[in-house]
Amino acid sequence: MSTAIDTPPATTEEVTAQGKARAKRGETLAGWAFAAPFAVLFGLFLVVPALYGLYLSFTGETLTGAGSGLVGFSNYADALRDPDMWKSLGNTLWFTVLSTVPLIVLSLALALLVNLGLPGRWLWRLSFFLPYLLASTVVVMFWSWMYNPKLGLINAVLDKFGAGPVAWLQDPKVAMISVVITTLWWTIGFNFLLYLAALQNIPEQQFEAAALDGAGKWRQLFSIVIPQLAPTTALLVTLQILASLKVFDQIYMLTNGGPAGTTRSIVQYIYESGFTGYRFGYSSAISYLFFALIVLVSLAQYKLINRRSVA
Amino acid sequence: MTADFSRRSLLKTAAALAGGGLLVGCAPGASRSTANLNYWHLLTGGDGTVMAGLVDAVNAANLGFHTTQTVLAWGPPYYTKLAMASAGGRAPDVAIMHASRIAGYAPGGLLEPWDLDLLAEAGLRESDFPARVWEKCQYDGKLYAIALDTHPFVLYYNTEHAEKAGVTEALHTLKSPEEFTEVATKLQKVTGKHGLSYGYLGDGAQMWRLWYTLYKQTGADMTLVPGQPAKVDKDAAVKTLSFVQSLLNDTIASRSGDGGTATSEFLHGESGMFFGGVWELPVLKEAKLPVDAVPIPTMFGTQAAYADSHTFVLPRQSKVSPERRKHVYTMVAELLKRSVKWAGGGHIPAYQPVATSAEYQALKPQSNYAGIPDYVNYDPDVWFSGAGSDFQNYFAENVQNVFLGSGDPAAGFDGFVARLNKLLDRPQPV
Amino acid sequence: MSTYTLSRGVRPSIKQTHKPGENPWSVSRMAALLVLAVLAVTWLVPFGWAVLTSLKSEADAGASQITLNPPDGFSFEAYRKVLSAGDIPSWAWNSLITSVAITLITVATSALAGYAFSRVNFKGKRLLYAAIIAAIIIPPQLLIVPLFRQMLAFNLVDTYWGIILPQAFAPAMVLILKRFFDQIPVELEDAARVDGAGRLRVFWSVVLPLSRPILAAVAIFVFIGAWNNFLWPFIVTTDADLMTLPVGLQTVKSAYGLQYAQNMASAILAALPLVVVFLFFQRQIIKGIATTGFGGQ
Repeated sequence: MSTAIDTPPATTEEVTAQGKARAKRGETLAGWAFAAPFAVLFGLFLVVPALYGLYLSFTGETLTGAGSGLVGFSNYADALRDPDMWKSLGNTLWFTVLSTVPLIVLSLALALLVNLGLPGRWLWRLSFFLPYLLASTVVVMFWSWMYNPKLGLINAVLDKFGAGPVAWLQDPKVAMISVVITTLWWTIGFNFLLYLAALQNIPEQQFEAAALDGAGKWRQLFSIVIPQLAPTTALLVTLQILASLKVFDQIYMLTNGGPAGTTRSIVQYIYESGFTGYRFGYSSAISYLFFALIVLVSLAQYKLINRRSVA
Repeated sequence: MTADFSRRSLLKTAAALAGGGLLVGCAPGASRSTANLNYWHLLTGGDGTVMAGLVDAVNAANLGFHTTQTVLAWGPPYYTKLAMASAGGRAPDVAIMHASRIAGYAPGGLLEPWDLDLLAEAGLRESDFPARVWEKCQYDGKLYAIALDTHPFVLYYNTEHAEKAGVTEALHTLKSPEEFTEVATKLQKVTGKHGLSYGYLGDGAQMWRLWYTLYKQTGADMTLVPGQPAKVDKDAAVKTLSFVQSLLNDTIASRSGDGGTATSEFLHGESGMFFGGVWELPVLKEAKLPVDAVPIPTMFGTQAAYADSHTFVLPRQSKVSPERRKHVYTMVAELLKRSVKWAGGGHIPAYQPVATSAEYQALKPQSNYAGIPDYVNYDPDVWFSGAGSDFQNYFAENVQNVFLGSGDPAAGFDGFVARLNKLLDRPQPV
Repeated sequence: MSTYTLSRGVRPSIKQTHKPGENPWSVSRMAALLVLAVLAVTWLVPFGWAVLTSLKSEADAGASQITLNPPDGFSFEAYRKVLSAGDIPSWAWNSLITSVAITLITVATSALAGYAFSRVNFKGKRLLYAAIIAAIIIPPQLLIVPLFRQMLAFNLVDTYWGIILPQAFAPAMVLILKRFFDQIPVELEDAARVDGAGRLRVFWSVVLPLSRPILAAVAIFVFIGAWNNFLWPFIVTTDADLMTLPVGLQTVKSAYGLQYAQNMASAILAALPLVVVFLFFQRQIIKGIATTGFGGQ
């Protein structure tokens, strides 16, 4: 771009400085032009609701729009004193504990079996992974039919063995276990695939060396395979725990939180406080308490994993 | 690379499709034309089949509109969705709501009132409905619901067993709890198993329905006003709770009967009496049981009966089409005129021309309890009570132990009231 | 929205892993095969049982006798009834429209933004980047109340855009694409820049063609996630005509009560689209999960 005649000729330094500034501006413009579509959606539908939710948690706003005045910390105080909130949180933690261990151990076992290179591998992969692609609704439809106390497959099979019918979804002692079993069936495919990929990454030489040393198959498993899989295990445990804390779909659809609130998850309680109970402000407060928990758990996991890899 | 290329073009075609679809389908539901009404309800099973039949009949009458029914699951899923639809979005043109739930919707503006003039045009008047039912459908001086039926909690008895025990007359005339216990004991001797079946375990609604009937029989009130402590009659409550507790002694009735086993027991003739809602009638009749139904005998002084009503309500819509609205009035009137079919399911039609008709009066045992609407008792008027709400769960949480025999009636009732007070303390969210 | 991680590139095919000289037909391997077969069959049972039920007559499906050979034989009657009722096709259509839109918008915005992060030095980049990383921690479940309130305000409840927009962006995908673009040598673009091509042109004609595999993978995963998503479409739709397939199936009941054969037929019909997607895109899906941990809930 040439300048007009009456402006004094710029020095080389000034030219490069101006050029740099213009280039910078051009960069910024280009950068934002590219990032804008994403940034707009991100801002409008994640940042804004996140901040708005925080604001809501300090009001008494309801579904009908009433009560929008500020109420200070009373929503948070109420939430911390609410036995149903603690119960839902407890259920969620219990679900996390119950589901994480089998989902890790069983998926590893499956991956180990499939990794043996036995014939029919596409069939194994399909069987274990297919459920993962199903929608939660479909999974629940399959399983609530199998859990049907009078007409369901599971009780019919139990009956053949002389065992009594179990009220899988109606008995408070069993309901959560039923939910965990369904979750196990549904989501194990993901862990299974990750383990399978990781298993194939273990260098052949490690096994040869161990075999030369006379280590049997099981020794190899414990001294080579499992340690080599540690990063994958760490990743899976992290993902598992975070996903379990956020559970909603299958519990809502299988038991609706029942019987008598013994399976209701914290996300379902957030949903119920807000939409069934109309209390948007209160529901937002619980959401933020829960969010604080998620942040804590994520930080803890991050620290733990970091320490491990440093060591 | 060909695979990738074809995937790319697949995406392009999909883009075109989606773009076109979005433009075209931005407002799907050509069903929103004037002549199509959206009708939500939560009736399934036997009730659902009858309702579907009634809707088909009205559609077949070709009155210038077509009604499409959408059925949602009973209870919280239905009521939550209804509230959300009314809050914003496309609420149905007409929906079923239990009368006991109106107090949780009308105050918040989630419902629109019925226009009495338009109702008159459609042929419906206040005189066509029982007074107490009409009253329950009001809020703040406006009419928010048109009742389809009243479905109370009644006493069924096995006519053969009653005959053998010689208590048939007593069942119709007894006036005290002691007499009732006597009748139950006599029936127990006849069946050899239990005199009475009462399935309540794990079911707050069942517990509430029986107890509330007896409580109201004492003449007591339960007034729940947000911002004030609950006004209850503790003595009456304890008296009636103790009475129920005394019946569940494993001789007269099973101590821990749940819905399924209680119904089964009565169906197989292993007991003489059965506390149940009128909606249980079809199952009993289908089993060809020799059964009769009467209002729960007035043991504590005043005639009373717990009941609820299915009513038609107008959910709030952001854009109301006057023509569709008019069709709704016609539709409701037509359904009501045919509601004698609804009575087949055990319900008492609210529409008086049907309730007083010979066709209905000929239905037995339905016509035996047809007088209940005159002294019916609905759940206390408050935003958190009603069918499918947590209210009955609070009752269950505190009273189940009392019924099981391990809890103290006074303590149980105190717990229940405390729970209510906690809710009353809160500002009303509607 | 998914989390991810990078591990070394891996081919997910299963190598022969029995050691040379080891008997592939040894007892222990046969035992392992048996165990595997039993487990696989067990895993397929819920699916298979649903199919079986859906092919029975309604009377047989509701009978308390569990049988593989029902008195009324097998037929597609349940499927016929379900399809003619018209709900499922219309829900499937809603799912298709919204999922395709979500996929296209997400892939486009993520690619553009990822490229910006990778190649362009713009003011506020670090802030936006930090915001994205922070946002990955926020579970969408927590935003249902404020988002619903927002949708009420925007008048988007019960609309396609109401379903699409809150799902049409994926912070995790931006990061994944950024890392991918980082690996493309800058020289390739410089060549085009020297020829006078603008940034967008370079992006379109140089970078994107090289990114087909990752873009395809992103598209597939976003599509699957959008199709299967329950919570948000459940919250934002109340009109049964607007519901997506998972939501409609769960929310709308039949007035005639539970018809088990038809119920299972609906479930199978709902499962089919993604089963088909899986059969077509098996390799990409498996590769995607194995290499980047896509799809971690």
